[in-house]
Amino acid sequence: MNTIKNYLDNMFLGLPETEDVKRAKKELLAMMEDKYNELKNSGKTENEAIGIVISEFGNLDELADALGIRQVVDNKSDINCVTYEEAEGYLEDSRNIAPKTAIGVFLCIMSPTFLLLLLGLNELGFLQVKEERLVAAGLAVLIGLVAAGVSFFIRYSSKLEKYEYMQKSVFQLDYNTEQMVRRVMAQDEPAYTSAVTTSVIMYILSPLSIILTALLLNSGGASIISVVGTLTIVACATYNLISKGGINNACQVLLQQGDYSVKTKSNKTFQIISKIYWLAVVAVYLLYSFTTNRWAISWIVWPIAGIVFAILKIVTEEK
Amino acid sequence: MISSDIIRGYTDTMILYLLLNEPSYGYEISRKIKELTDEKYIMKETTLYSAFKRMEANGYIESFSGEETYGKPRTYYKITEAGKSYYREKCEEWELTKEVIEKFIVKENNHEYY
Repeated sequence: MNTIKNYLDNMFLGLPETEDVKRAKKELLAMMEDKYNELKNSGKTENEAIGIVISEFGNLDELADALGIRQVVDNKSDINCVTYEEAEGYLEDSRNIAPKTAIGVFLCIMSPTFLLLLLGLNELGFLQVKEERLVAAGLAVLIGLVAAGVSFFIRYSSKLEKYEYMQKSVFQLDYNTEQMVRRVMAQDEPAYTSAVTTSVIMYILSPLSIILTALLLNSGGASIISVVGTLTIVACATYNLISKGGINNACQVLLQQGDYSVKTKSNKTFQIISKIYWLAVVAVYLLYSFTTNRWAISWIVWPIAGIVFAILKIVTEEK
Repeated sequence: MISSDIIRGYTDTMILYLLLNEPSYGYEISRKIKELTDEKYIMKETTLYSAFKRMEANGYIESFSGEETYGKPRTYYKITEAGKSYYREKCEEWELTKEVIEKFIVKENNHEYY
């Protein structure tokens, strides 16, 4: 029954929600449900019943004049249509590329750790080197790792570039393709859920390294090094989440759910804000870190930025 | 196979015929059409609904909320006086159409025309 409702939802996607349109949708659904129930009662299987109901439904074009939406319907055919092959290709590419993107993110998160390690060891008196040199060496590694990480993004994101419109603009998916995507998503569900669970537990436990060090050892050097532990756990958790979340994310893109819903895509204000926002966050992070040299604490910008971003999204959508 | 061009001019007639005796609702009408035509013609939901809207706007039928077995209110349609006279007009029109077209149709036993 959900399939029929989804089919209808998809067909009405992007239409203005006038009283006429809402009423039409309700009545068409009622007719389809009646037909479905009767077919089921006459001994048809669920799939047969759905198949018949959908094949006998008709098309939006016939409703256009009656509902006064001729213009919208005619324009709707201009909306991109994602084909079965494109959807399959996107899923396949996402599956392959997610682990590579995850490595890139892992490298970026790990990038300040060497610097922190050097500063910590120095603070503890293990290294007899001038701090300026340590900072220089640490920064060199930091920049090197970020560069390596970014090179992963550039190399692999170009392969997904051709699918970018799916994330940004509204498109249509035919019935078969949608069913295929839903199947893939359902198959991936257990693995994805367990990856999310593992990563969330790791995120929650990650500050333990800092907290325990602060409680047990009253040492500035040790507490700097303890950040390395936290960052490593965060990096591993994020790697796990991104590499195993590729399929789920691609399915969400194709089904236009969650972050890729028609509502979010139509929210142009938010689209622009989010672009500027993340650039600004990077600038703040680098500016603060370089000017104060407090790398041990500046990473906190990221989790805070994430939460603020979520709030921004909700606020702009409310409007 | 029925040509949808011909049928299109008479979907209203089919629906009005089914409403002559008693009010009815979407699925019931579509089921009766299917039964009466021995499944030779199945009216698509979108065709049916746009006919409802069109005829309602023209004043041939009126809709009202009626009882439904599953608890949800269901939209029923009933024919108006204007609908009845429109139906009679369409019947006359069809008789005439049939008479005219018939003159050009070769009957199966008249093989010499082939």
